[in-house]
Amino acid sequence: MLKIENLHATVDGKAILNGIGLTLNAGEIHAIMGPNGSGKSTLAYVLAGRPGYEVTEGSVTLDGEDLLAMEPHERAAHGMFLGFQYPVEIPGVSNVQFLRTALNAQRRARGDKELSAGEFLKLARAQADALGLDMEMMKRAVNVGFSGGEKKRNEMVQMGIIDPRLAILDETDSGLDIDALRVIGAGINRILRKPDKAVLLITHYQRLLDLVEPDFVHVLAGGRIVRSGGPELAVELEREGYGEMAA
Amino acid sequence: MLLDLPSNRTESWRWSDLSALPALAEARPTGRVPDALPWLACAKGLRLLFVDGELRDGDVEIGPLAIDTRHPLGRLAGKSGWSLRLGRDHAPPGLVQIVHVSTGAADHLAAEIVLDEDAQASIVETFIGSGWTNRLTRIVLGKGARLMLSRRVMGNVGFVSFTDQASVGEGASLVAATLAIGGRDTRLDGEIDLAGEGAYAEAAGALLARGRQRHDANLVIRHRLPNGTSRQLWRSVADDRAACSVAARVEVARDAQKTDGEQSLKGLLLDRGATINAKPELEIFADDVKCAHGATVGELDRAALFYLESRGVEPAEAKALLTRAFVADALDRIGEKDVREAFYADAEGWFG
Repeated sequence: MLKIENLHATVDGKAILNGIGLTLNAGEIHAIMGPNGSGKSTLAYVLAGRPGYEVTEGSVTLDGEDLLAMEPHERAAHGMFLGFQYPVEIPGVSNVQFLRTALNAQRRARGDKELSAGEFLKLARAQADALGLDMEMMKRAVNVGFSGGEKKRNEMVQMGIIDPRLAILDETDSGLDIDALRVIGAGINRILRKPDKAVLLITHYQRLLDLVEPDFVHVLAGGRIVRSGGPELAVELEREGYGEMAA
Repeated sequence: MLLDLPSNRTESWRWSDLSALPALAEARPTGRVPDALPWLACAKGLRLLFVDGELRDGDVEIGPLAIDTRHPLGRLAGKSGWSLRLGRDHAPPGLVQIVHVSTGAADHLAAEIVLDEDAQASIVETFIGSGWTNRLTRIVLGKGARLMLSRRVMGNVGFVSFTDQASVGEGASLVAATLAIGGRDTRLDGEIDLAGEGAYAEAAGALLARGRQRHDANLVIRHRLPNGTSRQLWRSVADDRAACSVAARVEVARDAQKTDGEQSLKGLLLDRGATINAKPELEIFADDVKCAHGATVGELDRAALFYLESRGVEPAEAKALLTRAFVADALDRIGEKDVREAFYADAEGWFG
């Protein structure tokens, strides 16, 4: 589904990614772990097309199409979703308005019928309920006045509504208590653990990986994947740290 | 008519461009009124139609008005105009809608809105067409009276100028909201006196400009007696080479203790070549007052744009969403849902 080859990228002229190669097939969950500053978030932003993140070498394809040639909204319409490490607050725009606009823009781009206000609200309510987010909060401005945990839940509600085929989740587990982590882990499994979907799970810690078991674990250091393995690699990292691998 | 216009060297006129006015003052009106007029759909209410400053339709008194002003544009409005006078406890059924059509020339008109004790009214004025529409309006609110005045300036080219003088009595409330869209330049001058104890006044506006358009608003709210409350809330959006300027002043007299004043002037630049001027001023002579003021000018939040786009929202739609959210604070001040929604719908066309 997603094929990353020899990906190099810079931010403000500084090289952050130095030749990443990674393939995600449908039905797979990949975890990317690594110390601070290893390039994890940069990888997520590059894949989503954030302005200011410049690809200097390499290629990325999504279902064989050149992902890097697409605008961010086109990547979304092709089924990609980025779960933000720091979700953005947008005063004056309600979650409901934002998500209905987003979902219908994606549906339009794919040639599907747009959802009516009623159909959308039903869908939004179901996803908010499943993730324990009060529907009243969905009517409020996007992430404004939300706690850190509520923002992360909101990311997952958005993901549930949009129902992407490929999700890149950037430290979705950071800042969550153990109960919230359980809810979010269950949400990821429910929405994404399907044979036609794939997930790139960026995380620091083993905790989330106990709930969402990855098929592959990769260690990122210095903008490169320095080691790959199965779920046992995450356990090893938890025990021994990144020290030697990152060196 | 000999036009004696203020120059940009005068501080309060430095951001205005009146260069189009002499030609408009000489122009002849076409008199052509569009077939469809922007009336709001509501069953009840009074409708007045003015074409080039002449009453074309509607039941209102036109007569001599003595409004004392030295304002260089306001004083052109003349000595007669329409007046709306409501007696004690009186309220007209529904909205008072006034449409002003300009057909390519200059017209000047005075107006007087006088609400006696506990009377209330909601007035919507809509300005369309292509000439110079010049208005002088005096508002007098008696004890406990309430007036909601909503104005929208539309039309393609030309100029619209308002000179407003308001006096708000004890416990009375004036809420004035202005939406400027379309292609006409505007000059808005308002002086609101909180002349009674516990009076409330709010002046809000959304000024949207593109091309080489100019919007220029100058407001003064004077607190004369204790326990008054005032709000000034202006949102300016400038694209291309356009300029929006808002100068808003709050004056608190020595006797006006317990005044609660708030000013919020925000500007959004959609192009690096556009200009926003914001000039908040406070002049306070009482010692027990609460006056907050803020002025900001910025561009659309890039992080918010990316967040929206990463969810699939197209770039133009993302900009429109954020711009709409930016001006919402000002349009939300409009009390009636029907009016507010109509103004939003007009603004939608501008957002694209």
